[in-house]
Amino acid sequence: MGDEKYTGILIFAEQKNGIIHKVSYELLNKGRELANQLMAPVYCIVVGPKSMDLQELIYRGADEVYYVGNDFLNLPEELIYTENIINLIKRIKPEICLFGATSFGRSLAPRIAGNLKTGLTADCTELKIDEDGKLIQIRPAFSDNILAHIKTKTYPQMATIRYKEFSEAERDINRSGKIIKVDPILVEKTGVKILRELECMENDISEAEVVVAGGRGIKTPEDFKILYELAELLGGVVGASRAVVEENYISSQHQVGYSGNRVKPKLYIACGISGAPQHLAGMREAERIVAINSDPSAPIFNIADIGIVGDLYEVIPTLIEKLKKKEVAV
Amino acid sequence: MRAEVIESLKQIVGEDWVLTSLDQTKGYLYDETEELMRPEAAEDSIVVKPGTTEEIAEIMKYANKELIPVVPRGGGTGLCGGAIPTETSIILSDERLNKIIEIDEENLMATCEAGVTLADLLEKLREYDNLFFPIHPGDEGAHIGGMVVENAGGAKAVRHGIMRNHVKGLEVVLPTGEIVNLGGKLIKNNSGLDLLHLMIGSEGILGIVTKATLKLYPESKYSGTLLISFDNRRDAIGVVPKILQSGIIPLAIEYMERDIALESAAHIGEKWPAEEGSVDVIVMLSENKEDDLYEKSEVIAELCEEHNAVYTMIAETTKEQRSILAVRSNVYTAVVHDAADALDMAVPVASIADFMNDIFALAEKYGARTPSVGHAGDGNIHNFIMRENGERPSYFDELKEAMYKTAVKYGGTITAEHGIGKTRVSNLAIQLSQKEIELIKGIKKVFDPNGILNPGTIVNKR
Amino acid sequence: MNIGVLIKQVPDMEKVKFNSERGLIDRKSAGTEINPFDLNALEAAIQLREMTDGKVTAISMGPPSAEEALREAIARGADEGFLISDKHFGGADTKATAHTLSAAIKKLGGFTLIIAGEKTVDGDTGQVGAETADYLNIPHVSYVSHIQAVNLDNIQVISDIWSGRYLKEMALPGLLTVTKNINTPRLPSFKRKMAARKAEINKLTFEDLKEYIALEECGLKGSPTWVNKIEVPPTATRKGKIIRNDTETAVNLLVELFKEMKVMEG
Repeated sequence: MGDEKYTGILIFAEQKNGIIHKVSYELLNKGRELANQLMAPVYCIVVGPKSMDLQELIYRGADEVYYVGNDFLNLPEELIYTENIINLIKRIKPEICLFGATSFGRSLAPRIAGNLKTGLTADCTELKIDEDGKLIQIRPAFSDNILAHIKTKTYPQMATIRYKEFSEAERDINRSGKIIKVDPILVEKTGVKILRELECMENDISEAEVVVAGGRGIKTPEDFKILYELAELLGGVVGASRAVVEENYISSQHQVGYSGNRVKPKLYIACGISGAPQHLAGMREAERIVAINSDPSAPIFNIADIGIVGDLYEVIPTLIEKLKKKEVAV
Repeated sequence: MRAEVIESLKQIVGEDWVLTSLDQTKGYLYDETEELMRPEAAEDSIVVKPGTTEEIAEIMKYANKELIPVVPRGGGTGLCGGAIPTETSIILSDERLNKIIEIDEENLMATCEAGVTLADLLEKLREYDNLFFPIHPGDEGAHIGGMVVENAGGAKAVRHGIMRNHVKGLEVVLPTGEIVNLGGKLIKNNSGLDLLHLMIGSEGILGIVTKATLKLYPESKYSGTLLISFDNRRDAIGVVPKILQSGIIPLAIEYMERDIALESAAHIGEKWPAEEGSVDVIVMLSENKEDDLYEKSEVIAELCEEHNAVYTMIAETTKEQRSILAVRSNVYTAVVHDAADALDMAVPVASIADFMNDIFALAEKYGARTPSVGHAGDGNIHNFIMRENGERPSYFDELKEAMYKTAVKYGGTITAEHGIGKTRVSNLAIQLSQKEIELIKGIKKVFDPNGILNPGTIVNKR
Repeated sequence: MNIGVLIKQVPDMEKVKFNSERGLIDRKSAGTEINPFDLNALEAAIQLREMTDGKVTAISMGPPSAEEALREAIARGADEGFLISDKHFGGADTKATAHTLSAAIKKLGGFTLIIAGEKTVDGDTGQVGAETADYLNIPHVSYVSHIQAVNLDNIQVISDIWSGRYLKEMALPGLLTVTKNINTPRLPSFKRKMAARKAEINKLTFEDLKEYIALEECGLKGSPTWVNKIEVPPTATRKGKIIRNDTETAVNLLVELFKEMKVMEG
């Protein structure tokens, strides 16, 4: 049995500029599932600017939403957030505390756990409840080569959870719950001042999650436009084989291969790339590979999860159209 | 290509494995040969991708009967036009022969099909505790079959030698369609003339290698890469024979001029660690005992200091050592777009300093920019003759011939590892006698009476 | 400026073998090295020392053999190395590690700045840096990709956080965790390497730290989390599904895949 003083599952719903980060809805989905097993409530904490509409969190599964709203909270100030969150955790006393493993979540959670003198498990990809009602936290380690099952002796049992591991909670507008406004705690001296937000740099191909790459099958430099369009829809970047870089279709920063960038995205879409060893060396470790090529004998098909033998000038525009329709539908 | 040929080939390998339209065959027409040096490819050539040795045998029988040229192709990483079809040909790609058949830990041998890439083999070996294959010609996309017939060299020849020293057995399809097995997992083998070694380095004119058995080594536990910087080329190259004479046998001793090191590093997005000096010598060491590694490094560092080295660094992590090797390996691809030609001469190691000094003097005489990198530890240097305004410079032919003659003067060769292929056929007589060239032609005739296999390579078709 | 750098000795990840059938990690043939991200932390510290003078101290908690990593840190430019090693410290999770490191930092005293890598390649948690700052009761800035300016009282850095980039000014003393984009670590000079092989590494045991940490806060005892089980998932094999000349089916299949992979949400 869990410790009776601690009940419920608390989810830190991260926001920026008043918009809830999607990982929060994923956590609500998993959190609700665990809460049902434990027959316990789901709490959310939101720290952010004034006048946020938080009904959505209730539609997505929260029973109680604690909202610390003030415009000075619309900056990534770990120490101010820490104080406010600790205050609420102490008040709510949840048995489980979940944070998205975003950069901000990873920077916040250790301070909170340290302060609460409780354990923290990083970057989980799965959560379960064992027969004693304790949380099993499953996380990759050793550079994603193993999965460790971790348990926590102290309360609350705290974990950060990777983004895009769980699907988002279904929306149910008939759900009801409470939104509780909480006065912010002002921290006078945090020791950190945010001077300004800087412009983001162009997405680095070697760290991109999705790469849409073009090769010899792309007939003119202008045709890279459709790859850019697809990449944008998938939140990815554009890559290229050496052949088209040498033809000056696209700059060498985009080159993927043995001479060029080695990439390890979640998804690699090779368009009109035959798959010379030189190219494969740079992308074969992608988690999923899709290849589109008119030549059924192209070696790229040997390493593809999905191989499409066909004309990329037909497949990609059709795909883009379909994705756009989907977006409107959502 | 005639329709009936295409049809017959489809009969042999299946519909999917014959490419005929130019937008599909385009990628198979050229290799890595410098743009200004490479011969024009016959664009009506077609590509076939057989899946078995038997299919290759059938293709060869058919081609031999119909007198259609066949150009074998591996990874397309060659540097002498060996894989470029100069007349309407069947380009025979070995890419589907991509299985690693056996890693024999007891005999320390690997057997793989010809289309296995060097990268595949190296990756496979990483699954084992300590197996090591030393030949590294730079581009790991090279196919094993291509490495055999081009007798690949690369950086680590100082200790272990070249491809020729590592090929123990071959399965070969002859131009007339017969399949032969040469050699085996033997250390000694004295039966008859050595056809195995004739096949190694034959640049695809005597037969099509379909399978190779290669020698492996147990990997030493401690490795380190010394990066030694010098202020001038003479000091840097001068130290190389001294290192070898000290009795230390590193895996590799590489020479690289800083401007191209920086260019190559930028090309692959790495940072070149050396800042002081203008020329670097890279020494790769691999030892079974940690103390040996450092003791040998110390001897080398001292020798370099005597030769006015300005700074010496050591890389020991896998990642940092690999980064240095990657910069070295990618020099060619980084520089080639601006090069008229990349030469590949070698001389006896003791002569390397004198030879390079002569080469520097020649370059000065013509006012030419000839950046150099090379496998200095085995006497092999790559000099680039750079373009001027995008063109071959006016002095190009004269300078190149003078450089070749300098190499031969020192008892050297005009090509240490890239091969004669189709781009150096006319230069061969600088090094070989007329009689030697006649012998090569005679041997070619015995294997390939109709001259259908990779015509125009090494020797002219007559 | 006195800078402490937190380093960890890790196995060479390229050589560690994972046995999925038996759920084992075999690191015996792997050799060890400094956690690659910690090399960025060390390099950042050395560059700051070059700008401001002072001293760089490498601090590591680990078994006695982790001395090697500290010698390597000295070869790469650290002035001194401290190894926190004791049987009582074994089996520590991130909390106990952060607590012990903070005790050592307090014991050594006098640091203006502590720098840690973003995460380690074996534990992969990325928690120890910020948690150590909490135990030290000093501010921290995470995911630092650039150091803009520094003086005796504060340091300005760029932090890649919150889906953006922020210029932050942190009062000193404080702690930074740095990303690999902050610099390219230099190679050790051969001379320094040879000298460092003989360098004396200072040791800190529980005895030395006991005024800052209690026995039950160390190692396994002080660790609220514990590994219940380890799985080595088999390497994923490619599905290798081929669709020929059927755009409609192909596109539908791709949309399904994108949904499954959640790449459509940007």
